[in-house]
Amino acid sequence: MRMTMRDVRRDLFWLAVGLILFGARPAGAVPAFSRKYQTSCQTCHVIFPKLNPFGEAFRLNGYRMPAETAEQVKQPPVSLGAEAYKRMWPGMVYPSDLPSNVPFALNTKMENIYSSSQEDFGHQVIHNDFQFPQEVNLFSAGTLGTTFGFFGEITWAERPDGGSDTEIEHARLDVTSAFGPEHLVNFRIGKFAPNLYDGFQEMWLMTDNGVDTLFTYNPIGFRGGTGLADSGGGVSLPARARSIEMYGVAAHRFFYTVGVDSPIGPGGPNGTFGANSQKDLYARLDYKIGGMGLDGDTGGVKLPPENWREESLRVGILGYTGNGKDVNFDITDDSGNAFKMQDRRYNRYGVFASWYLGDLNVFGVALHGTDRLQLLDNETLAQISETTRNYDAWFAQADYVIKPPFQVSVRYENLRVADPTVPSIRTLNANFSLLIRANIKTMLEYHRDLRNSQNYTLATVLRFAL
Amino acid sequence: MKRFLCGVLFALATVPLLAGGIHGKVACAGQSDNGNAVVYVAKVPGKTFPPPKEHATMDQSNRVFLPHVLPVLVGTTVDFTNSDPYLHNVFSPDACADKFNLGTFPKGEKRSHTFRKECFAPVLCIVHPEMEAFLAVLPTPYFAVTKPDGSYDIPDVPDGSYTVKVWHPKLKGSEKSVSVHGATQADFQIAR
Repeated sequence: MRMTMRDVRRDLFWLAVGLILFGARPAGAVPAFSRKYQTSCQTCHVIFPKLNPFGEAFRLNGYRMPAETAEQVKQPPVSLGAEAYKRMWPGMVYPSDLPSNVPFALNTKMENIYSSSQEDFGHQVIHNDFQFPQEVNLFSAGTLGTTFGFFGEITWAERPDGGSDTEIEHARLDVTSAFGPEHLVNFRIGKFAPNLYDGFQEMWLMTDNGVDTLFTYNPIGFRGGTGLADSGGGVSLPARARSIEMYGVAAHRFFYTVGVDSPIGPGGPNGTFGANSQKDLYARLDYKIGGMGLDGDTGGVKLPPENWREESLRVGILGYTGNGKDVNFDITDDSGNAFKMQDRRYNRYGVFASWYLGDLNVFGVALHGTDRLQLLDNETLAQISETTRNYDAWFAQADYVIKPPFQVSVRYENLRVADPTVPSIRTLNANFSLLIRANIKTMLEYHRDLRNSQNYTLATVLRFAL
Repeated sequence: MKRFLCGVLFALATVPLLAGGIHGKVACAGQSDNGNAVVYVAKVPGKTFPPPKEHATMDQSNRVFLPHVLPVLVGTTVDFTNSDPYLHNVFSPDACADKFNLGTFPKGEKRSHTFRKECFAPVLCIVHPEMEAFLAVLPTPYFAVTKPDGSYDIPDVPDGSYTVKVWHPKLKGSEKSVSVHGATQADFQIAR
């Protein structure tokens, strides 16, 4: 049966609605650090989870204060060995320490979603759901001595059928300033949001919706990708990766990251274990002009007292490449005939820019993707054809701090899919955020499919962190 | 009159003794308090100091060495005691402290070591790796350890010009020339 354009549009829309309605979004505020340093959320966040320049430096510094001293740590850690043991290694165990309190933090999110969509015959369908709660995130984060740190997040999210899903969204060990100049060489191993997406991964966005056109595009299709993937499949960019990553800051202004991770493939935004024998590679290089240094350096710059403001421009280039050999996707042609498809080489190249001008932060990414798709016989897996498909995705977002408790944000997303018969996806996301208290936030967020005025959602979100 | 003259002579004779000394404050940048810095006179020209007969003492109580920093004159014997109801050990990995290891001993026992060289040595307990203290083995008996507010007082320093040094377990040391005339103030700032 041949899919009509209307079918494609309908499927795409319902997929997008599903992502909005039931997609668990990671939360990035970690009150465990508030406790450790006895400081407010606003030290690092504009409106959580969006990081201010200091928070970004804190994060890149392995969740330590820039130029941290003992007096800044208000909860002294538990020593696991005196300093003198460092000189005795390997004759003795190298000393470390533990957080004095179990460094747990909890984020809870409740959401009311009002959604409108147009069915096949023009009928408008309205839903209005109290998703109380929609998700709960349990964080654990801290440092282990002067070099190591850790970060973990377990998310419990409710499904529409009343069941729930639990996922380890982050579990990683950090090695901070492993050797060489401070901030230059750091490592992370585990499952985490790669620094490839620093500044635009949903973990650090102030909006409720993530940038789906970047992270959930599915390039697999008979004529190339047609739109967003559902949670069970797709190859685009992994929002979180099982990775070994090296990153660092040089001369206060240069940022780099390189990583190797398990290949992306069926299994949603995180990829899967053991999809094949390959490994994906990624890299990013940034430079920041003006404002606070990426390591928190303030030498030679005059910063305003309001810690969310600065005048700076950060630009970067990023790339991701991998091989989906032996990872078979089920597809059908226009007549319904079944095939397998492998993405034998996927490349993603992008540019990132973030411009701060006082209370305004405008940032965005433009990404070009190529996929070398092999069409295989459904039974014998014999190759039938091979085609290289291209797609382009970009977004631009403007965040504006009206007053510290009030912020507005507007984002436009555009995805030109690979299948030439399917129109581009264009969406608008507008958000108003209000900090009721430093750790209680409410948001009103409007998300609209710009191709059809009847396809939209209006979400009211309440989040609190402790 | 005789009594008056005797009083004046006594006062004149004792003023330097009563008033002589170095006091002041040490600011320890980045530390939770300003304690545990050792301030000492590095050298008194033409004078040597025999080691004291009295032993100094460092105790282990509630898995903490007390005091955390112990300054002693070169040649001093330090008695290490154990006040905890379980075994403790005392050793130092530093050559300047002879890499001594006093073994493991129970509550009530005492082990001693004589520190014969100038040294700043960590003292550790291998049974409880988190325990740490420091011995500052110094060339003169003119020393003091700062209180948490950074204040110190080195009494009975004869008038003269000296190099006064500061040592801290975690911070870079400092020194300055100080001319002592009676009670003399010398403040320091040290940092990492």
